[in-house]
Amino acid sequence: MSATAPAQSPLERLKEILAELADLGHAEQILDWDARVSMPRGGAKARADVAATLAEFSHQRFVTDEVGGLLERLAAEEDPDSADGALVRVTRREWDRARRIPSDLAGELAQANGVGVAAWDDAKTSSDFALFRPHLERQLELKHQYIACFPEVDEPYDALLDEYEEGLTTAKVEEVFGRLKGELVELVERHRDDVVEDLKGPFPVAAQHEAGRLVLEAFGWDPSSWRLDETPHPFASKPGAGDIRLTTHTDERDITSLFSTMHEFGHGVYEFDIDRSFARTPLGGGTSSAIHESQSRTWENLVGRSAGFWRWFYPQLQGLFPDTLGEVGEGSFVRAVSAVRPGLIRGDADEVTYGLHIILRFELERELLAGTVEVQDLPEVWNARMREYLGVEALDDAQGVLQDMHWSAGLFGYFPTYQLGNVISVQIWRRAVAELGDLEEQFARGEFTLLREWLREQIYHHGSRYSPPELLRRVTGSEIDPDPYLEYLRAKFA
Amino acid sequence: MTDPRFAELQQRLAEVTDLTKAATLLFWDQRVMMPPGGAAARAEAIGTVSTLAQERFVNPDIGRLLEELRGLEESSDYDSFEASLIRVTRRDYEKATRVPPDLVGDLNRASAVALSAWGPAKEESDFEALRPYLETNLELRHRYIECFDPADETYDVLLDNYEPNMKTADVRQIFDQLKEELVPLIQEIGAAGEVDDSSLHQAFDQGAQREFSFEVLRRFGYTDDEWRIDQTQHPFMTSPGHGDIRLTTNFRPDDLSSLFATMHEFGHGVYEWGVDESIAGTPLGSGVSLGLHESQSRTWENLVGRSRSFWRFFYPRLQETFPGQLRSVDEEAFYRAVNKVHPSLIRIDADEVTYNLHIILRFELEQELIEEQLAVRDLPGAWNARMEEYLGVDVPDDAHGVLQDMHWAGGGFGYFPTYSLGNVISVQIWERLKEELGDVDERFERGEFGEVREWLRDHLYRMGRKFTPQETIERVTGSPIDAKPYVRYLREKLAPQAV
Repeated sequence: MSATAPAQSPLERLKEILAELADLGHAEQILDWDARVSMPRGGAKARADVAATLAEFSHQRFVTDEVGGLLERLAAEEDPDSADGALVRVTRREWDRARRIPSDLAGELAQANGVGVAAWDDAKTSSDFALFRPHLERQLELKHQYIACFPEVDEPYDALLDEYEEGLTTAKVEEVFGRLKGELVELVERHRDDVVEDLKGPFPVAAQHEAGRLVLEAFGWDPSSWRLDETPHPFASKPGAGDIRLTTHTDERDITSLFSTMHEFGHGVYEFDIDRSFARTPLGGGTSSAIHESQSRTWENLVGRSAGFWRWFYPQLQGLFPDTLGEVGEGSFVRAVSAVRPGLIRGDADEVTYGLHIILRFELERELLAGTVEVQDLPEVWNARMREYLGVEALDDAQGVLQDMHWSAGLFGYFPTYQLGNVISVQIWRRAVAELGDLEEQFARGEFTLLREWLREQIYHHGSRYSPPELLRRVTGSEIDPDPYLEYLRAKFA
Repeated sequence: MTDPRFAELQQRLAEVTDLTKAATLLFWDQRVMMPPGGAAARAEAIGTVSTLAQERFVNPDIGRLLEELRGLEESSDYDSFEASLIRVTRRDYEKATRVPPDLVGDLNRASAVALSAWGPAKEESDFEALRPYLETNLELRHRYIECFDPADETYDVLLDNYEPNMKTADVRQIFDQLKEELVPLIQEIGAAGEVDDSSLHQAFDQGAQREFSFEVLRRFGYTDDEWRIDQTQHPFMTSPGHGDIRLTTNFRPDDLSSLFATMHEFGHGVYEWGVDESIAGTPLGSGVSLGLHESQSRTWENLVGRSRSFWRFFYPRLQETFPGQLRSVDEEAFYRAVNKVHPSLIRIDADEVTYNLHIILRFELEQELIEEQLAVRDLPGAWNARMEEYLGVDVPDDAHGVLQDMHWAGGGFGYFPTYSLGNVISVQIWERLKEELGDVDERFERGEFGEVREWLRDHLYRMGRKFTPQETIERVTGSPIDAKPYVRYLREKLAPQAV
């Protein structure tokens, strides 16, 4: 070994540290994916410890003075418009945030998430909110500690939002949701009593898997880099470049798994198509939760619930379910899978009522944080609000306040990004249609490549290079705007 | 009142253990779940996480704490958690800090590269393609050995990585005894005529094999809450955390060998599963050595899974599972088939008796390589000659000879002997177990395995790594490692007059 290693530039040194942190992040993704897909339940306690250690350890290695010094120096040197300039900007933002959080709090948050998700799972299974209550209280207590690390925010909730959506404020969410809420309630009322034929099952699980596979393959799924598993709650994960994991939930009573598969594909394809030169850096992931969700909703709804898509796929689906769909016409089928039906479960909600499920959660989590709703009263408040917004009566907590895992995993401030994703998806879609012409006509031939390539060039390829508002501006020329979305819904459900 | 320095040590070690467990899971996932496109990113991630775990462990702070805690260790009972943790960690630490991180990196990289060369070399039966990598591995082993004080025999240093405190001379003594007893036994069995095991080589539905294996495993103590089993090309066991035991097996369409592979992996799994909760998540919380580990896999595979009483209970069920294949094969014929002793080429397919000669051959050859009495280029010739001498078989090509195992490509010199040591130890423990529990066969005939498992848990599994392998064996059996019970067992079970 020679004694003189070539001198490392500050940028090389930064990238070396970030690559190591990305590898730890890779391990954290696998710990999480495994806990949800393959881990025997008995492993939960040890798993929470391992996840907490990794989170704390990564945090310690990230918030060092060395990283701060490198970032400061590079911020002055790198061209802000270059990819390396973007790397420095994004890393600096993350470093500034992370530096505020003590490492032991980072570990406690990860620990509470691991334990909280396991407790939520049990509570949901037995529909017993009392089992989950202490964990939710613990999560809120930790969120208060977390928020306290950002004393400069106007509104405490801003500190949470900013983690998922750079630059997003509570005021902005209130403005968009304020605009949506009245219109959505009205749309729900108008269509509540539409006569739509229900689809009658059963839809055998194996045939649903086959349908999912056919659709994914047409979208561009490839088994050498992707996998698809069953979990109670569908999600997508990318542990590392070239390794995309989707899950779906299949129930033979309905065919919702097909839509959740397309939804997760949207998340997966965004991650898959990111410029490989960004791998093992903070640019190597989607830029925000809302932009991510805009893509899952694009593939689930704008593609997967479109007339063109079904013109192509419905005959194949009928072939897979001859007994149940043989006599159902394409038109009735498409109406049935899009119909406005106020229901209890967010994950099953149609495009119109979905927004109200989100608005309810946004309101409740702010009230929980403000202390105006006590955790012990949450189930009752939940049920009352479901009655008010959607006119539905929760049967039990499993189908009410316990239905989503988010709060158990400490995800406060996350729900709004779902609805913002819906809003953004239509903004981007309009632009795609303007440039690519009649997409539905392509879908009707089973062709999805032009759309995917356009999205790749416009969005996916860039990873986190551009901030969410900047990306949206580059693609659509405007900032977040609920009008196209409302127009889309009105037109679709006219 | 806990010494704050002890609490700090525990905290430091928990971090290392957690990083190691994360790497364990990455490894499992790579082999069981990962799409191939993820391979490059995964290699980086495993490399980083393992290196960080190692770096955190050899940190001088841990050395300082261990020094400061000598007082606590000496004032605590030898069996106490505190004394055991300090003692075992000190030994691990002293070994780990001997080896410079650069050399650790070189060793790992060389093994990874050699392993990727091994696959194609085996495929092509081309020893020359692997030779330079083996030479590099050996050269690096010498650099590794130089990091330690001179041992009685060079090989001692390598053996110690897999069987702590064991000396080459001890292994040689045990193996000489085995060789002396087993070579004639194999000849006697051979002279008595070949057993017909064609009933095992038929088409067996893999799904049905899986169902049957589950039935066996559940009776052994497998539960969905703490275990899982998957299919991989090479079966293995790993535990990415307490209460989380993962087995893999390889159900083959044309024989029943995987039933035994599954029981074998269960034995590894149940050892990890049974480690006492109070030491889980610490450096004490796993099996103590490869020899002891293998003793348990062989216990469940052979002492349980190839026993008459096991099949008394399970054979009717197996016949129900495969009526077309097994209806006309009676229990005795089946029992003989699964216990057939016959010299063959491949270690992993070998029977209980000849298996040991496969190991002895490897032990001898790797010692000669390390002592530089044998050059790598002469290895295939030496291998083939010794296969002829010990087992009377003619090696047709290197794929079925010296290239069959991945261990040497992976740098695992010193690993092989632990397989046979496991066989030896398994019977020592088994004899002790039977002295205490009485007639276990009668329980097996009723499909009951819980008491045996619990006895093993209480007497062996719970201890984890608190004591050295030698202390562990003595605590369980009351005596040091001894080949006699094993040889007696093989003779009683398999010598022609006994059948």
